[in-house]
Amino acid sequence: MTALAKQNMKPAKQKIIKADRAFNIFIGIMVALVLIVTLYPIYLVIICSFSDATLVTSGQVTLYPRGMTMLGYNAVFQNQELIHSFFNSVVYTVVGTAISLVVTMGAAFTLSRKFPGKKLLSFLFAFTMFFNGGLIPTFLTVRDVGLYNKAWVCILMGCVSVWNVMVARTYITSTIPEALYEAANLDGASQLQYFIRIVIPLSGTIIAVLSVYYGVAKWNDYWTGLIYLQTRSLLPLQTILKEILASLESSRELLMSMVSDTAEQDAELLNRAQIAKYCIIVVSTAPAVVLYLCMQRFFVKGVMIGSVKG
Amino acid sequence: MQQVEKRKVSMGSRMKKTGQGILQNRWLYVLILPALVYLIIFNYLPMYGIQIAFKDYKAVRGITGSPWTSMNGFKHFYTFFNAYYFRRLISNTLLLNVLGLLFTFPMPIALALIVNNIRSQRLKKFTQTAIYVPHFISTVVLAGILYILLSPTNGIVNHLINAMGGKSIYFMNEASWFRPVYIISGIWQNAGWDSILYIAALAGVDPELYEAATIDGANKWQKVRYIDLPHIIPTATMMLILNSGSLLSSSTQKTLLLQTGGNMATSDIIGTYVYSMGLGSGQFSYTAAIGLFVNVVNFILVLSTNRISARMNGETLF
Repeated sequence: MTALAKQNMKPAKQKIIKADRAFNIFIGIMVALVLIVTLYPIYLVIICSFSDATLVTSGQVTLYPRGMTMLGYNAVFQNQELIHSFFNSVVYTVVGTAISLVVTMGAAFTLSRKFPGKKLLSFLFAFTMFFNGGLIPTFLTVRDVGLYNKAWVCILMGCVSVWNVMVARTYITSTIPEALYEAANLDGASQLQYFIRIVIPLSGTIIAVLSVYYGVAKWNDYWTGLIYLQTRSLLPLQTILKEILASLESSRELLMSMVSDTAEQDAELLNRAQIAKYCIIVVSTAPAVVLYLCMQRFFVKGVMIGSVKG
Repeated sequence: MQQVEKRKVSMGSRMKKTGQGILQNRWLYVLILPALVYLIIFNYLPMYGIQIAFKDYKAVRGITGSPWTSMNGFKHFYTFFNAYYFRRLISNTLLLNVLGLLFTFPMPIALALIVNNIRSQRLKKFTQTAIYVPHFISTVVLAGILYILLSPTNGIVNHLINAMGGKSIYFMNEASWFRPVYIISGIWQNAGWDSILYIAALAGVDPELYEAATIDGANKWQKVRYIDLPHIIPTATMMLILNSGSLLSSSTQKTLLLQTGGNMATSDIIGTYVYSMGLGSGQFSYTAAIGLFVNVVNFILVLSTNRISARMNGETLF
């Protein structure tokens, strides 16, 4: 390379290096911003749940817990209705998710094979993603089939998500080689045996992902309880939480009854009720987030394989 | 005659073949049966029940037995289209969803581009894990957090506003604040999760493309512009189709939680109206008609956006 050419290249290359450096700084700032915006509200709720009520309500708890106390959590764990509905939600979630997994994997496996009537069945499944009866006809149907105000409605409602069936089907077709089926077939295995002995053991990743999808959806569902249940003792946690958390009035009475010490000042009681809200948020959200974090290593892989159109 | 005979034979053998196929695949039908039963009960029976939109539903006479309405069954639709609140409901619903889509849609794409360009693998993984977390918080709890943090008397946001010399804003009870609160909280909760698809699309980019671009003298900004973005567009188109199919619905559960006496002017949408009039006041037929109207509009929207995108760049859903 001649000296002249070298001289000409230098400024161009330097320009690129400069632009790249600016880019890296920009990305760094954006990442910091994204992380703060995402995590700070969560962090704030957690530190407030451990802090002194008066300090929290006057806005003095911002970076770390102050006046550490467990009063809020005590109040939450003394509330019978909350505990009961928490237990209800555990049952609905565990049983519902188990049913969902069996039903979804069965349907996904079938739709991954070739058989007479496949087109019709695929259509019947896909159509429900784009058209539905709507709230009122669904409500009347559920009532007519006798599921209204039964615990089963909370377990069964939403136990098949066609979207999840499609994701699982894509996973099966794209990760399990057809040669395995032919080999199993030669060995005289029925399709059921092939499904149970080969497809299921090879589908660990997608089963983990589906269990998070279904489990979290079930745990976080307040709507089914609100629409289809009447008996209070059947209500899942989220439906109870709607009354406590999601209103301007903040259900003063309900929260005040949680605090046993009635000799306190009214303002102090209200403050404590406010803290109890933070605690309720932490306690009710922890199971879903912990489940996600435990299954997190399956996620990136499973979600990607399932969602990228084959 | 002979031909007919021949056709019969071939039909017969075809049927026999199909019959054999069914028998051979019997386990497949067994395995799909539970899901099918679910869809029949929770999706197709309700679709059959849509007929009450054209009837005057009477509980004692049931869905099939109730009498048809006047105006050839279209009485409820006529009532709704001419109701004084019709325009408010439609515009509230459309504005909430259109504005929501406008501001929400680009966010996951931006996030994916940022995440994709983090150089430290550990930081990248941490960021990915962190931005998915809000998705796992329930709508009820999200609403609860909003009520607490935005409270005019003891919420942290208003403490901050006060500290800077401003006056407390009653976020949850002012009509003008409903949409911003709804949309921003939605971005906070879902932008990270929705970025998964785009991150997956970016992970599929051939690294040789970047190397070639480097040799050609492209800087990183240009790589994002000319390599990353084009790779995201097909996924983005697909998501846009999916999202635009719900411009008239799907926000009911969250809206109901954020609805207060003070923000009804903007938070009163079709979904919450159907909920309160249908289940609250028992006007089953009337609200079923409204629901059907919404579903038909959404269905048409999905079909047409799908057609448009097929013509534009060959990306379709079905």
